[in-house]
Amino acid sequence: MKSNLPDRSLVRQYLLGRLDRNKELEDQLSNDILFNDELSEMVESIEDEIIDDCLDGTLDSADKDAVDGYFLRPPERKEKLRFARLLRHHFEKPHDLAEARLDAPLSNRTNVIQERIDYRSAVPWQSHFRPYGQIVALILLSVGSLIYIFSVRKNQARLESLLAREREHSASLVTDAQLLQSPILALTLVSDRSRGDGTQIPYVQIKPSTKRIMVDIVLQGPSLGAYDVHLETNAENGPIWSARLLPLISDSGDARLVFDLPIQRLKSDVNSFVVSSAVPGSGRPKHYDFRVKLTR
Amino acid sequence: MAAQEAKRTLTPEGFGKFLRWLSEDDELAVREYQMIRMKLVRFFIHKGCADPDELFDKTVDIVVGKIESCAECPRPLAYCYGVARNVWYQDVRERKSVTLDGDVVSPEYQDTNVQELKLQCLERCLGQLAPGDRDIVAKYHGGQGRDKIEIRRLLADGVGGGNALRIRMCRVRKELRMCVVECTKRSLN
Repeated sequence: MKSNLPDRSLVRQYLLGRLDRNKELEDQLSNDILFNDELSEMVESIEDEIIDDCLDGTLDSADKDAVDGYFLRPPERKEKLRFARLLRHHFEKPHDLAEARLDAPLSNRTNVIQERIDYRSAVPWQSHFRPYGQIVALILLSVGSLIYIFSVRKNQARLESLLAREREHSASLVTDAQLLQSPILALTLVSDRSRGDGTQIPYVQIKPSTKRIMVDIVLQGPSLGAYDVHLETNAENGPIWSARLLPLISDSGDARLVFDLPIQRLKSDVNSFVVSSAVPGSGRPKHYDFRVKLTR
Repeated sequence: MAAQEAKRTLTPEGFGKFLRWLSEDDELAVREYQMIRMKLVRFFIHKGCADPDELFDKTVDIVVGKIESCAECPRPLAYCYGVARNVWYQDVRERKSVTLDGDVVSPEYQDTNVQELKLQCLERCLGQLAPGDRDIVAKYHGGQGRDKIEIRRLLADGVGGGNALRIRMCRVRKELRMCVVECTKRSLN
């Protein structure tokens, strides 16, 4: 719904006294302003506009004369003009006030005024406290934030270090677990009974997860073809496992027997692989001892 | 001096009579009086009168003198306005012989301490404004040249147009001005 307000430029002319000679129009507008609050507010805003133009120096000479000789005659409008100037001073040159305040403490009069503000105004401490309080709060907030960030970073570094250690530990545990839970055990036998001291024989621990043992027997001397391998224990007469195997021979001529040994018949005891060449008359068999421990 | 001698003041008796004419109820009468006063003083300001308060008193004096003849007046404001217009005409006739003030636009000399006090009051009053009003008044007065024009254009877009912005600024400035006047009075007394 469009309001039925007069044109702003007409109101401006009215406020500059230019409608006073047009009695009918002037009376009509005065009457409307009196009884129409919306129009009355619009008139006030145009008054402000004229004052702004006045301070901006954008009035033409005719308007300036009208302002000086008519518009600014009422003390209320002069007060409005002063206030508009004060407002501009505050927003356009805020440093002026700060500079004035730097000079002010030297003046006793200013101190008196300052005291009056402090003790007689309705909310003096709030208004003085507010800017400083805000600054202090800002500083505290900044320091608090820095401390927080620093502690967070410190904690983060500590946590990262712990995490790295935990990862390392975890990796080793995984390896251990893998080893522990591996279905294959490795057993390397280098010295036969005649070469060992009999006190430190190799040792294997067979866990429930162990399915077999990968045995690696290093042979002494030149390879003579296939070998007969028997597994003997103290508890049983005769071998509990036997196989004829061909050795693996490296480029340098070293020979070794590598084979998988099932664990089904192994018991916690000292066991011995009896290795002999399949070639008749090639010498005495050799015994490779090892200790087994079953953990079921 | 002639103007001073011609100055008339509203007597307590005249004021009481005027109030009774407005309403039998004291509260309503005072409220009505304040409304009539505000509107007629504004009228005299609009007409460029140097002393709107005095002209209003003169208007009431005249109305009080005529109350017997307008006892049944249904619209006191309209009646008072009619009288005020005549008072204004009379003022215009007398005004011609009065020398105009000098340059009233140029900054007048003001005690530095009073000026500082006003600025302090202004800061305080700005702090008491609603955040939205404080923001808009700061932006409205911020910037220079084209920046200022652009800022005001953006502000106008934000509040529903140039006229809406002017009205809003007018209200905020009025609130601020009244606050600063009160604050300054309190501090100086």
